[in-house]
Amino acid sequence: MSAAPLPAVLAVTWVTPVAGAILGAAVLAPLLALWFLKLRRKRRVVSSTLLWTRSLADLRANAPFQRIRFNLLLLLQILAVLAIAFAVAQPEAEGLGSAGGRHVLMIDRSASMGAVETVDGNGKALDKPTARLELAKEAAKDRVRELLGGGWFSISASDVMVVAFGARAEIKAPFTDSVATLEAAIDSIRPTDEATRIAEAIELARAFTDSQNRGDTRGERVEVDTSSIPTIELYSDGRVSDIGALSLRNGEKIIYHRVGEAANNAAVVAISAERPPESPDKIQVFASVANPMPEPRSVTLQLAVDGTVRAITPKPVEIAAAKDEGAIFVPGRAQVTFRPIEQPSNASIEVSIVEDDALRADDAALAVVAPAKRLSVLLVGSGGFIVKTLVEGLPVERFSTMTVEEFDAAVAEGKALNFDVVVFDNAKAKKLPAGRYLAFGAAPPVEGLTAFGEHQGVYPRSVREEHPVFRSATLDELFVSKMTAVQADRSFQVLAESPEGPMIVALDRAELHVLYVAFDPLDSNWPFQRSFVNFTANAVGHLGRAGDAIATVGLRPGEPVALRLPTGSRDIEIAVPDGTRAKVAADAEGNIAWGPATVAGLYRIEFLVPGLDARQTRLVAVNIADAAESRIAPLAELSLGNTNVQGISVAASRRGALWPWVLALGLLVVVVEWWYYQRQVRV
Amino acid sequence: MSSTAKPLRKLDDLLDSRLMAKLDAIDVVSRKIFSGKVQGERRSKRRGQSIDFADFRPYVHGDDLRFVDWNIFGRLDRLFLKMFLEEEDLSLIIALDTSASMRVGNPDAFDYARKVAMALAYVGLVNQHRVSLVGFSQGQIERASNLRGRRKAADVASWLLRREPAGASGFEEAMRLVGTTRVGRGVMVVLSDFLFHEGFEKGLGMVAGRGFDVYALQVLAPQVVDPSREGGVSGDLLLVDSETQAETEITVTPELLRIYKERLDRLCGSLRAYCTRRDLVHLVVETSTPVETLMLEYLRRRGMLR
Repeated sequence: MSAAPLPAVLAVTWVTPVAGAILGAAVLAPLLALWFLKLRRKRRVVSSTLLWTRSLADLRANAPFQRIRFNLLLLLQILAVLAIAFAVAQPEAEGLGSAGGRHVLMIDRSASMGAVETVDGNGKALDKPTARLELAKEAAKDRVRELLGGGWFSISASDVMVVAFGARAEIKAPFTDSVATLEAAIDSIRPTDEATRIAEAIELARAFTDSQNRGDTRGERVEVDTSSIPTIELYSDGRVSDIGALSLRNGEKIIYHRVGEAANNAAVVAISAERPPESPDKIQVFASVANPMPEPRSVTLQLAVDGTVRAITPKPVEIAAAKDEGAIFVPGRAQVTFRPIEQPSNASIEVSIVEDDALRADDAALAVVAPAKRLSVLLVGSGGFIVKTLVEGLPVERFSTMTVEEFDAAVAEGKALNFDVVVFDNAKAKKLPAGRYLAFGAAPPVEGLTAFGEHQGVYPRSVREEHPVFRSATLDELFVSKMTAVQADRSFQVLAESPEGPMIVALDRAELHVLYVAFDPLDSNWPFQRSFVNFTANAVGHLGRAGDAIATVGLRPGEPVALRLPTGSRDIEIAVPDGTRAKVAADAEGNIAWGPATVAGLYRIEFLVPGLDARQTRLVAVNIADAAESRIAPLAELSLGNTNVQGISVAASRRGALWPWVLALGLLVVVVEWWYYQRQVRV
Repeated sequence: MSSTAKPLRKLDDLLDSRLMAKLDAIDVVSRKIFSGKVQGERRSKRRGQSIDFADFRPYVHGDDLRFVDWNIFGRLDRLFLKMFLEEEDLSLIIALDTSASMRVGNPDAFDYARKVAMALAYVGLVNQHRVSLVGFSQGQIERASNLRGRRKAADVASWLLRREPAGASGFEEAMRLVGTTRVGRGVMVVLSDFLFHEGFEKGLGMVAGRGFDVYALQVLAPQVVDPSREGGVSGDLLLVDSETQAETEITVTPELLRIYKERLDRLCGSLRAYCTRRDLVHLVVETSTPVETLMLEYLRRRGMLR
């Protein structure tokens, strides 16, 4: 493994070393040769040479050859030539060398790279607060110029590839030696609020290298030339979730350019909002805040509804310090519950931290709540009193009853029923149009559900109690004397099962939502139990709100926005939090998929529905909600498998061109040399 | 740095009649009083037959009774001998460096040295001193000894005109020969550039304190004093030593010139210090200085001539 830690000490990089060497060699040799030339001197007889010392200042020469002698002029000339040659080699301070070869610049664009830095790696204040990603991009561009720069004198054979990665990786530029292309590629990297996963980026780089290493069309691998194994240059704060699982392949080398210094951060990592069942016009918001810092801190949280601040924590929320025990890192957490606020209509809820910190993107979390909705329920049935009494008692807006015949007739006519939920009380309709149905007893005519007889004396064996319909509704004491024997295909979800077969199944197929209880409550002891009431209420409520935008827990950055709009929706546009808008087309059933959503915030999907003039809106919240990403303090050292890679601060590795100084020194030497020469020859 | 002036051919080239007339009025002075060989025009340390009283001493057998002071005998009844300063001739030795290093500069150092030698010799001849000329190079000496009287000026001139500089100086050996073969005591003038690879100390040591009042007259061409002057060195040169033929590669730079001047200053300074220590007189003269100025001003000021 060649990922030996690079010392972060002052180093000089030569951008065009070969050009400098050629110039130096080309000029020094003739210069020395000239000094071998001897001066043909005029003979002059003097009375005595007693008073004369041999003066070795051969300033001109016109005859070969002599032994070379030390001379200050020669020294100065060599110095001047060396200085100019060094200047042509373009030394730059603190670089990492440019030995040619292939380099993959991997630029981390995850959420933590959005942290705002005010000082550079040397502790010097930046001109203005700058996001880490911008620092990384500048450093990467510098590196590109270092690898490929050098202007006229460059004969570098480097190939550079640019990969941006967050939760996903993207090749921004394939291997090229064009500085302009690479700079444009780096400039095109946009910040995201995604998590940080590098494996995909590494795989991409390897795949790209390997494909270029295939020797012929048959795809046989030729012997891998070690010079073609790229050096991976990672521009990141080191907070890469899957770095530990990564191992370098033979010949691979990684350079970790550490970006950023800031560590101060706190984050809202979870939010949920719900309407209390007893007061559906209100919204209750719960939030969880995390502190990735090693010392406890307190934050003030505010709650905004549709952008208007509605509540603020009366006193700062104390968050414990994070615990970092080697490999296990547990951020300090605190839970906050806001008092219910009145909000009957749908709304976007935002919980945010008031205090400023380095990373603002994770200081807020959004949730979208649906409007308080009162349901309209239709009971289609045989006249059994139990179910009717129960449904009638639910807090619904509208309640009607209908016979099966009337229902079938209405369906046959294609009449819109305009009920949120239809309850079948042991009644068998001929056909079910799209809608939401709760059926007791007789099996509804749904594809995939087959009734084939009866079972006697059945009790439930397993129940999916986590399902919303079983909230406060246990089936432990249920006994059914007679149950319809059904077989449900895999599109059905079995919620309760007896040894004989499914007792309660659920179907969510496109616009058709069915909850089927395979027995008549009158054939069981259920009506005498409280769970029957709760189950029925839960089921009606669950079905009634199925498909509504109650996505209280939003998406994570990097996930696609996928949701179903009413069939026939058109002119669909997504307003992205960063201010851009995107047009999306829905498929025949009204499904849209767009993305991935790279930045956190509220995505507003606007569309037109046939028959309605006003544009409809759906909201989707995208939250970072990632304690790992909120831990922004940069890592000094990366641990890859069994290799540790020391980070080099980009501020430290930021190169300063030295060649103007060297050139100035060379010119100064020339001036001194000329002055000395003049002083020697002027008598 | 070699001379481009026209060669010296006759006495007039060495010493023109106008200067000759001025030199008639001056004489060579020795700072020390030396004994001469024949009775001359100078006081000698030796007690003799002049009219200048020097001292008394008790009479001993054999003394000339003519010098007994009879007045003292009459008063003290003891014989005392009157002693007088004897007037005698002065020996003037002019040592001329004829090594190749003298043949440089503009004006030429050798020609200049010959002119000075001629002028000094003339002064000596006119004042009835015993004048000897010694040319030295390559450790050898050539002499023209014991010339006296104005009539010998032509001989001096022809001897000087025959001298041609060549080879190294061999200063030490030459001075040893001069010191050991001296005839009489007196004033000795050494005319040289003193640029000797072997150094000047041992050479001067051979004559200093051996009965000579030594004047070291360092004759330097302007181009030797400052090589950057017109006719000096510039650019990239291969310098050839005129005496040893040793070669030195140089590129003339301000730094090199500075080092050269430092070395020259050090050389002249050490010569002067040596002379002071050994009671010799050191005088640097650039060949651009007129001989007349040297004779009538510099040497008079230094007390050699009066």
